[in-house]
Amino acid sequence: MKLECKIEEIKNKISQVERITGKNLTLPILNSILLIASGKYLKLRSTNLSLGIEVEIPAKIEKEGLVAVSGSILQGIFSNVFQNENVFLESIDGNLSIRTKKSKIKLKGQTHEDFPTIPRVVGTSFEIESKKLIDGIKSVYYSSSVSDVKPEISSVFIHTNEDNLVFVSTDSFRLAEKKIKVKGLPEIGGILIPYKNISEILRVFGESNSLIKVCFNKNQISFSSDDVYLTSRVIDGVFPDYRQIIPKSSTTNAVVLKQDLLNALKISNIFSDKFNQVNLKISPEEKIFELSSANNDIGENKTYLDAAITGENIELGFNYKYFLDCFQSITTDSASIKFSGASSPLVVSPVSDSSFLYLIMPMNR
Amino acid sequence: MEPMNMNTKQLWKNCLAEIETSISRANFSTWFKNTSIIREDTGIIYIGVPNEFVRDWLINKYHKLITKTIADAYENMRAVEYTITKTEVVKEELAPVVENESSVNSVNKELPLRDLYISPEDNLNPRYHFNSFIVGSFNELAYAAAQAIIKSPGTLYNPFFIYGSTGLGKTHLIQGVGNMIKEKYPEKKVHYITLEKFATDLVNSFQNNKANSFKEKYRKYDLLIIDDIQFIGKMETTQEQLFHTFNTYYESNKQIIFSSDKHPNYIPELADRLKSRFAAGMIVDISAPEYESRLAILKVKLRELNIDLDQEILEYIASSVDGNIRELEGSLNLIVVQYRLKNRSLTLAEVKNLLKNNMKPKKNMAIKDVVKIVSEYYKLEEDSVYEKTRKKEIVKARQIVMYLLREDFNVSFPLIGQKLGGKDHTTVIHSCLKIKNDLKNDPQLLQELEQLRIMFK
Repeated sequence: MKLECKIEEIKNKISQVERITGKNLTLPILNSILLIASGKYLKLRSTNLSLGIEVEIPAKIEKEGLVAVSGSILQGIFSNVFQNENVFLESIDGNLSIRTKKSKIKLKGQTHEDFPTIPRVVGTSFEIESKKLIDGIKSVYYSSSVSDVKPEISSVFIHTNEDNLVFVSTDSFRLAEKKIKVKGLPEIGGILIPYKNISEILRVFGESNSLIKVCFNKNQISFSSDDVYLTSRVIDGVFPDYRQIIPKSSTTNAVVLKQDLLNALKISNIFSDKFNQVNLKISPEEKIFELSSANNDIGENKTYLDAAITGENIELGFNYKYFLDCFQSITTDSASIKFSGASSPLVVSPVSDSSFLYLIMPMNR
Repeated sequence: MEPMNMNTKQLWKNCLAEIETSISRANFSTWFKNTSIIREDTGIIYIGVPNEFVRDWLINKYHKLITKTIADAYENMRAVEYTITKTEVVKEELAPVVENESSVNSVNKELPLRDLYISPEDNLNPRYHFNSFIVGSFNELAYAAAQAIIKSPGTLYNPFFIYGSTGLGKTHLIQGVGNMIKEKYPEKKVHYITLEKFATDLVNSFQNNKANSFKEKYRKYDLLIIDDIQFIGKMETTQEQLFHTFNTYYESNKQIIFSSDKHPNYIPELADRLKSRFAAGMIVDISAPEYESRLAILKVKLRELNIDLDQEILEYIASSVDGNIRELEGSLNLIVVQYRLKNRSLTLAEVKNLLKNNMKPKKNMAIKDVVKIVSEYYKLEEDSVYEKTRKKEIVKARQIVMYLLREDFNVSFPLIGQKLGGKDHTTVIHSCLKIKNDLKNDPQLLQELEQLRIMFK
């Protein structure tokens, strides 16, 4: 292998690819990045056997070939050593020589024959703009369960509803759902992408502006843009039937300014107990929307908010963390909160935007 | 279908053994772990693999090897296919439960659910009963004393202080006494509490200015059992309160029972007045059960679970898990879960495989062997490790040897020093500490150690 390419290009790609190398696995070759020079491109490949990625960098190839080198070391080199110029890469006896005008590096290679291939997913496919995909995932992924006990909820669930692509995640205490309109969708019964892989997908495509082709079958899903191919295993499981727990009607409705509520929650946080409990009291007749919390060691507080309230009186407690989380997905100035009794979930959504929905289980101790 | 199943299983086992010899260990454990032959259909063998990464690589890299190995062992084979299967069968079983359990129910999950077994008045768990208590030479004294207390509580051995290391049945014994006394003398009020709870109650009562109600609460019982008393060391106020509580009980001839993992003399910072009071009654220890008792314990557990296992398997478990009864139970549970899943008795080989990860490496490995494996791993002369040299790579290997001997094989520091070329024991201590610290920020080293540990098995 012998080639020349731009440092800026290779630098960015290496940091993307390095994150997906296998750490702490029994097979040492998985720590490495495989460099493949073929045609007009240098391809970088890495995998941790749950995710696999391959990126393309335009390069002037003099001689095709491949070499595998330690990902973290390559990352270390390119994040520190070079300025903006061209770099020459050459494989010599299985080792990688890296050359610029001012430096010369020889990096020990590993036997690339042992480097696994990355599955090419064959199955149903559709196209989506990366902004939409990222928006969908970002709006819900923080609600997934972080424990591995139930893999089906420690993931983001993707399915279709008419011409919407629907993203859902829950840890069984709260649930977030985001609908995104996408043209030309096939019907998707449900895909479960593991939570751990979701953050990498966000990182890889977070800055991208291109059209992404998504392809999936019951075991695997892939995302490909012009120069990136990312594939993740999917979880073989059944996501809970969450639609049945979304309350159909409500007994109390409130609309508040998002910023007011955020500030109030943050103060309540200071006084909340070890269960993070914050209490909410709403009385439409007296026009009271009150947040309160108390802690034996610190003290107690009550905050009153201006709110438009209708319906019955209600009093309930909830975990403020769950409440805070959803505001990253609410972009409007005011939020609507709907209640249907002290023991059913409360529903938070942006006012006049039905694409996002957030459920919180009350906590009544 | 049954015989065919057995055949494919055996066939794959044989093939794996064959394949293992022809590829590196790391490759084998990465790619062939969790694979199986799912079925055989008119000469086509379907191999189940955990995910698409593995399938892809088996097809690309090992297909020839697999085909050839199977063909050698099974002449009717025509082709090999790979399909993805779920590896964790356990989760499959659980899935339907999760479905029904909508998030609405999870409101309750947030609340600390009170364990149904434990009655709130006395805190005793009825599961701890003498019916399921095994008496052996390791605990017969403690048992006899407990029986005497049940006969005449408060008079004979007061206080009754029982100590022994973790997982040997202290809690079982003292709760058993509580349960028996409850049965025998229904009018007596029994209370079991851990020291931690006692201390928290005390702090809360001070906070809410209810110190008196605390005193009343803990002085109204006829039998008070306090578990895990060893943590009392630093809690001065708790010691004082315990002292007064103790006096009340002692003076009115009410029984009080303590358990601890140390003899009272070795509980750090324990006030002398408490020490002498603990010693006034009866202090007994529970040591680790010997082989026969371990076997008996296993049998009783199995009877509770209503499961039969081969004598051979029981003997294996009893001999491989030593000391701690809790670990013994853990190992047994692991096997019982598999037994229930597979719905048939397990073979000894399967049991060995299951317990492999549960067990600490065998302690009887010679120091020389450890040195040999480590030096081979780092491609060094075995002898160089014993020599007095400060070459970097040799020093590293030597330190790793010391660390492993200490951590995994429990060899004493002076002995390690002596065997590795007459080093001082402080040198050894330093080496072990160094490796321990290096491990925190050197993933490479961690990996090397992991691989070494695999080689010890």
